Amino acid sequence: MGSLLSYVANGALTGLLYALIAMSFVIIYRSARVFNFAQGEIVIVGAFLVWTFMSAFDLSVWVSVPLALLSSMLLGVLIERVILRPLVGEELFAFVMVTIGLLIFIRGVVLVAWGPEIRFFPVVLPVAAVKLGSLVFDRALVIGGVATLVVAAIASWFFNHTQLGLEMTAVAEDHQTALSLGISVKRSIAVSWAISGLLSTMAAIIFLNGKGMTFLASDIGFAALPVALLAGLESIGGVVLGGLIVGIAVGLASYFLDPIFDGGVGAVFPFVIMVIILLIRPTGLFGWKTIERI
Amino acid sequence: MTFPGGVHAETYQQDRALIRTPWQWLWFAGLIAVLLLLPFLGANSAVGIATVIGITLIAVLGLQLTSGCAGQINMGQSAFMGVGAYAAGALATNLHWSFLLTIPIGGISAAVFGAVFGLAALRIKGFYLALTTIAAQYIFTFAMLKLPKKWFGQSEGLRLDPAALGSFAFDTDNRIYYLVLAVVALMTYGAWGLMRSRTGRAFIAVRDNDNAAEVIGINVFYYKTLSFFIGAFYAGIAGALWAYYVRYVQADQFTLWLSVWYVGMLIVGGMGSILGAIIGTVVIRLMQELITVVGPMVADVLPTLGGQFVFAAMNMLLGGLIILFVIFEPRGLVHRWNILKESYRIWPFPH
Repeated sequence: MGSLLSYVANGALTGLLYALIAMSFVIIYRSARVFNFAQGEIVIVGAFLVWTFMSAFDLSVWVSVPLALLSSMLLGVLIERVILRPLVGEELFAFVMVTIGLLIFIRGVVLVAWGPEIRFFPVVLPVAAVKLGSLVFDRALVIGGVATLVVAAIASWFFNHTQLGLEMTAVAEDHQTALSLGISVKRSIAVSWAISGLLSTMAAIIFLNGKGMTFLASDIGFAALPVALLAGLESIGGVVLGGLIVGIAVGLASYFLDPIFDGGVGAVFPFVIMVIILLIRPTGLFGWKTIERI
Repeated sequence: MTFPGGVHAETYQQDRALIRTPWQWLWFAGLIAVLLLLPFLGANSAVGIATVIGITLIAVLGLQLTSGCAGQINMGQSAFMGVGAYAAGALATNLHWSFLLTIPIGGISAAVFGAVFGLAALRIKGFYLALTTIAAQYIFTFAMLKLPKKWFGQSEGLRLDPAALGSFAFDTDNRIYYLVLAVVALMTYGAWGLMRSRTGRAFIAVRDNDNAAEVIGINVFYYKTLSFFIGAFYAGIAGALWAYYVRYVQADQFTLWLSVWYVGMLIVGGMGSILGAIIGTVVIRLMQELITVVGPMVADVLPTLGGQFVFAAMNMLLGGLIILFVIFEPRGLVHRWNILKESYRIWPFPH
C-alpha cells in the first residue's frame, strides 16, 4: 500500500462502484426526467433487505440476494406508482421536491424498521484481498468493478437495440412526442425505476460486503453524483468512463493532498470535481444538449 | 391581494401601505403584543422554542427569496448559515468585535459564499443548481474542519461570549429572545419589501420563465446571483444569531440534512410567499417540538419502538408531508389560508 499506483488502482475500482450507483440515477433520469435525490436511501434499503433476509431470516445467499434484488425492484415500481405517477407532466420543481421528500421519508422508515445501530452486513462476496504483485485490492470491489462493466454493456445494448429500450430512449427525449408515437410513458418510467432499484441493491452489496453499516451509509448516493454529472445525465456507457476518471482523480488527490490537509480529501474532492464540471461543461462528457424555446 | 368591501386607496401612499384596514392594524398590534409579552406569558420553554423558530425563520425567509421567489433551487442554506455563524464566531472570539458588527459581517460573508455558488447559475439551472449547492455543503464542512485552528477551531469549534452592549449582556433566554425578535422583525420587513419591489418582480419573472425574462430585458444572470446573495445573507444572519444563542459553533451543526428540512418547511408553507415561509416554519417547528414531547411517551407505552422512534417519526412526518403537499397542494398551506380568508370575506356568497 501507499504507492501511487495502488491509490490509482483502488481509486479506479471505487470509481466503478460509484459508476454503478450513477447508472441507477441515469436510468431514471433518462426515462422519467426525474433526478432522484433519494437514490442513496434506496441503496440503503437494498442493503438492509439483504441483511434482513440473510442475518435475520437466516436464508442462504442464493435465496436472499435474489429476494433482495426482487424486492428492491418492487420498491422502485411502488415509488413510481404511488408518488411519481400523479406528477407526470408537472414542472421540474415538483419532482425535485418530491424526491427530497422521499429521501427524508425513506430515512424515517429505515430508522423505524431497522434502527440506528451498526449492523454487520453479511459476507456475500468473498472478503479475502486480491493481491496483484505489490497491489492489494478489496475483492468485493474487484468483482463489483467487473459487474459494473458487464451491467453497463448490457444496459447500453438494452437501450440501443431492444424494442423496450428504444422506447425508453424515446421517452427520455420527450414525453409528449413519445406519447404521440404510442409509447407508454408510464410503463417506461416504471421499468426504469425497477432497473434502478436492482442496480442500487447490487451496489449496496458491493459497497458494504462484510462491513459494518448504519443508515448513514446512504451518503454514497451523493458521492455518486459527480460521476453521473461528468458522464452527462443521459449517457449509460459514459458513467463507466466518468466513474474511472472521478475515481482516479480522487485517488490522486488523496495521495498528493492528504498529507497537506491531514486526511479527508477523498470525501470532498468528488464535489470539487462536480463544481468544476458544472461551471465548465454542465452537460457532462456525453450528455444531450437541449435547446430551450420560449 | 383582495380587500374587504369599502377599502379604496385614494393616494399612492395608501395604495403602497402594507397594513390597510383597522382590523389588520388590530391583528398586527395583537401579534406584536403577544410576541413582546411572550416571556411573561408562558413557560420558559416557550421562549426557547420561539427563539429557535425565529432563527429558523430568518434562514427559511432567505431560502424563500432564493428558491420560492427567484426559482433557484438551493440545498445549501445550512452551509450558508454555517458560514455566517463561523464568521461571526471567529470575529467575536478572536478579535472581540461587538455583535453589532459581527452579525452583519456574518451575513455578508455568507452572502459572498452563496453568490460564488450561485454564479454557476450562469450556465445551469434546475436541479443542476441544487447539485452545486450540495457541493457547497461538503466543501463548507471540509474547509471548516481543515482551516487553521486559530481561525475556526477545527473539530473543537468555537465558543462565544454572550453578545453584549457595554455592560448589558444578552446572556439569558429572555434577552436573546428579544434580540432575535428584533432581527426577525427587521428581516421579515425587508423580505416583504423586497418582494414588492422591482427586484422582487424581476425574481418572479426569472422564476416563471428565465428565457422570457431575458427577452424582456431583465438581466437574468444578475438577478439569479443576486437571489443567492440575498438568500445566503439571510442564512448568514440566522447563523450568526444561532452562534450567539448557542454560544458554540461547530461544523456538525450545519448539515445537508438541515437544508433539506428548510426546503421542507418552504414546501409545506407555500413557495413564493413570505407568509408561506412564516407559516411553514412555525408549523413544522411546532410539530417537531410536539413530537419531542409526545414521542418519548409513545415510546414508553410501546417500548418495542425504542428510543430512535422520535427522530424517525419526525423524518417520516416531514417526508410524508412534503410528498403529500407536492402531490395534492403544491401551493402550500398559505394557499389554503388565502382561500379560507377569501370565503370568509364574501360569505354567504359563493364567489
